[in-house]
Amino acid sequence: MDGWRPRPDAASRRALLAATGVGLAGASAGCVRRARNVTTRDPAGPLSVTITTAVADYDREGIQIARRLAENLQLVGIDAALRTVSREELRRSVLVNHDFELYVARQPEFSDPDFLYELLHSRFSEESGRQNPFGLTSRRVDELLGRQRRAGREDRPGVVADLLSAVAEECPFAPICVPEEYRLVREDRFTGWEEAHLGDRLGYLGLEPLGADDLRGVLTDTLATKNLNPLSVEFRNRGVFVDLVYDSLGVLDDGAVRPWLAEDWSWEGTTATVTLREDVAWHDGEPLDAHDVAFTYRFLADTSREGGSAPAPAPRYRGLVSMVEDVDVEDRRTLSLAVDAEPDPGVRAFLVPILPEHVWEGRTDEADLFGFRSTPGTTEAIVTDNVPPVGSGPFAFADRTERDRLAFERTDDHFSRGDEGLPEATVERLLVTVHPRSTSAIEAVEADDADVTVSTLEAYSIAGVTETDAVRLLTHPPRTYYYVGFNARRAPFTDPKFRLLLARLLDKGWLVEEVFEGEASPIASPATEEWLPNSLAWVDGDPVAPFLGDDGEPNVSAVRGAFERAGFSYDGEGRLLARG
Amino acid sequence: MFLYVLLRVTVVVLAMIVLGLVVVVGTDRLRRSRRDVRRRMRTIAPTAVVLIAVLLTNSVARRVVPDSSHIVGIRATFGVDATWWIYELEGGFLPWLQSFETTALTAYFSFVYVYGYVFLLVFPALAYLALPDTRPVRELLAAYSLNYALGLLCYVLVIAYGPRNVMPELVDALMYDTYPRYQHLTRQVNRNTNVLPSLHTSLAVTVALVAYRTREAYPLWYPIAAVLGLSVAVSTMYLGIHWAIDVVAGVVLAAVSVALAARLVGRLPGELAGRLPEGLADRLPSGERPER
Repeated sequence: MDGWRPRPDAASRRALLAATGVGLAGASAGCVRRARNVTTRDPAGPLSVTITTAVADYDREGIQIARRLAENLQLVGIDAALRTVSREELRRSVLVNHDFELYVARQPEFSDPDFLYELLHSRFSEESGRQNPFGLTSRRVDELLGRQRRAGREDRPGVVADLLSAVAEECPFAPICVPEEYRLVREDRFTGWEEAHLGDRLGYLGLEPLGADDLRGVLTDTLATKNLNPLSVEFRNRGVFVDLVYDSLGVLDDGAVRPWLAEDWSWEGTTATVTLREDVAWHDGEPLDAHDVAFTYRFLADTSREGGSAPAPAPRYRGLVSMVEDVDVEDRRTLSLAVDAEPDPGVRAFLVPILPEHVWEGRTDEADLFGFRSTPGTTEAIVTDNVPPVGSGPFAFADRTERDRLAFERTDDHFSRGDEGLPEATVERLLVTVHPRSTSAIEAVEADDADVTVSTLEAYSIAGVTETDAVRLLTHPPRTYYYVGFNARRAPFTDPKFRLLLARLLDKGWLVEEVFEGEASPIASPATEEWLPNSLAWVDGDPVAPFLGDDGEPNVSAVRGAFERAGFSYDGEGRLLARG
Repeated sequence: MFLYVLLRVTVVVLAMIVLGLVVVVGTDRLRRSRRDVRRRMRTIAPTAVVLIAVLLTNSVARRVVPDSSHIVGIRATFGVDATWWIYELEGGFLPWLQSFETTALTAYFSFVYVYGYVFLLVFPALAYLALPDTRPVRELLAAYSLNYALGLLCYVLVIAYGPRNVMPELVDALMYDTYPRYQHLTRQVNRNTNVLPSLHTSLAVTVALVAYRTREAYPLWYPIAAVLGLSVAVSTMYLGIHWAIDVVAGVVLAAVSVALAARLVGRLPGELAGRLPEGLADRLPSGERPER
């Protein structure tokens, strides 16, 4: 409220400076030194923090977590404010520009612990994108991230457990909970909804139509109607549609990577020889061959292809691409990939979408706006909306209306067609419309205007679903988690002790009940059950960052004591003092 | 879906207007004004053209503004992110207002927000056309233009999300969750950061203020407009779409717009005409002729 007034210490400093100026003529050198000594000390001031979060239209749960955290921070003497933005702007501020202190968001995927390599390795701390938004630089974490890639099958769980413990100590982000995934489907139009996860491309292939020609999906956000660039970090959630348009060498099926665009691969040590399927073509008719695959891996590592003023790595797939050390084309259908990892998790490098060289080689220049203001490290490839996308996948882009709808057509000569072992596109068209809220998405499926909600439904809307013979509510194994991220580049968030104390102001169990209506599981560590050591598992409470309080209310004196023990102090008005 | 909702709104509002014309204006007056309607249309044409231009600019700008890089630059430099400031100032008011929620109230306010509002804006323009004096209709149209023009300026400079976007668990998006189909209508015409001021409120209050100024011509319209205008203002808050501060700002915008319109109408074209060559000024409709 009184932000416009000069701080008392600043005012007194000015007064002192003025006094020194008047007396300067007769002052001794010692007096000047003393004046400098007194006036050039910056005291620690009351701490104020900003939490960046998307508003309810984009993230109904996220804004509530952010508000509860802000309230708790205020109760314990930290001035907290929310910066409310759209989802796109949140990603731009946090992932691209690193312009944040705290933020609330959802991690899109964490099934294999190797996702932490992209998320936390210090080699990515200066890059823009999904890679290391926190700016964490920890030798111990780096070392374990490398070791889990190179550990054998038997040793890997132990290394991952050490890694998760090290991450818990560093606390670059506070994991909160894993929300349930609910989607609504029409069973009178298609069967086979349970065959694959509807957060993946395979969920939309292999469905059995009951007389239906079109598969009609509903999205609750408009991002995919505005941009179909697989490299865009602002516009991609899970990337289901770009994955249906672009093939990758392998696909994730029930946790394992299976051949897709690759007919087969064989490992010799850490080098894979990959054979592509025969006669694959891009949607524009050009043939797809091993050169496109080699191009993709090199291009994603530096989209400027060493032509720009700075390297421009892709803001997505950075972790997967970083595994690939060398790519060699042997012939049109064969290439070898040397990876810096054991086959498991090295095979995950095959999940990257393969891009047509003839389209993307022209996107290496630094992007500009009407010919001026280009930003080093930002190439056309990263900022293009990529409409229409040219892929090789089972569905090809047909048309769109921004903010409203998307249409795809089946690729009739796709290799999955007629192949017994692969699920294929069973309808001629995939039509996607935007219904901006879960309630109207549910209404669309119930009114037979749509067959499936591609976006997950918000927890509060589940109670309003009426299941019938035709309409069914499906759950899928949850794949995402909510977290509060810290910017470890900025004081006082540079201090892992401080980050952990802020994490202890989140009552995760209470948030799950109040914000997620019980439709989520609280977590202490960002790993799925199969990887989680007992010491980090949530059993009746948080073993890493237990809440300093009860029922969502922080215990003010306990918090204050914890901060003081960590080396922080409070002023007379109970405000936490910090530099930064 | 959008077209279906649009059609429904059009039919219902047309019915309301016909009823309003019969009750408020009266068939006698309607019949009498038929002869003079062309002259009146000519007189109000300049004001109407200004309004249409403002509306077109507005509809383009409201879509483009959040995406245009120039505007993003202006916002980054001069814009104020007001959401948290508003929330801290009045946070508890809307949850309190919604604590009076009933199905009947939600139905009433949803109806008022969509149908009542459109009726409130269109009906008086037609009713005033039935008056021999074209000044009320010109004032009304000018006030509409000012509302939109000044409101758009606020939207560029003040970035704020509405209450349902900040406290979704306390402030229910009553209309959108009870009648999801309306989402399609409002999504076509608005962005979720265009919150302060509430244009629903400012335009509704504008109509009520002009109705007060014309209460001698239409004594029945003034109380109807007042009740409907107040309902629209309350509905924006009850439905969780606007903060109380947006509504206050809307009332201020309405007062400024009506006051400015009253000063400008008849003056600007008059002054303009005064400077025109002799022959041209004579061809202007009599109402626009300078008083000298």
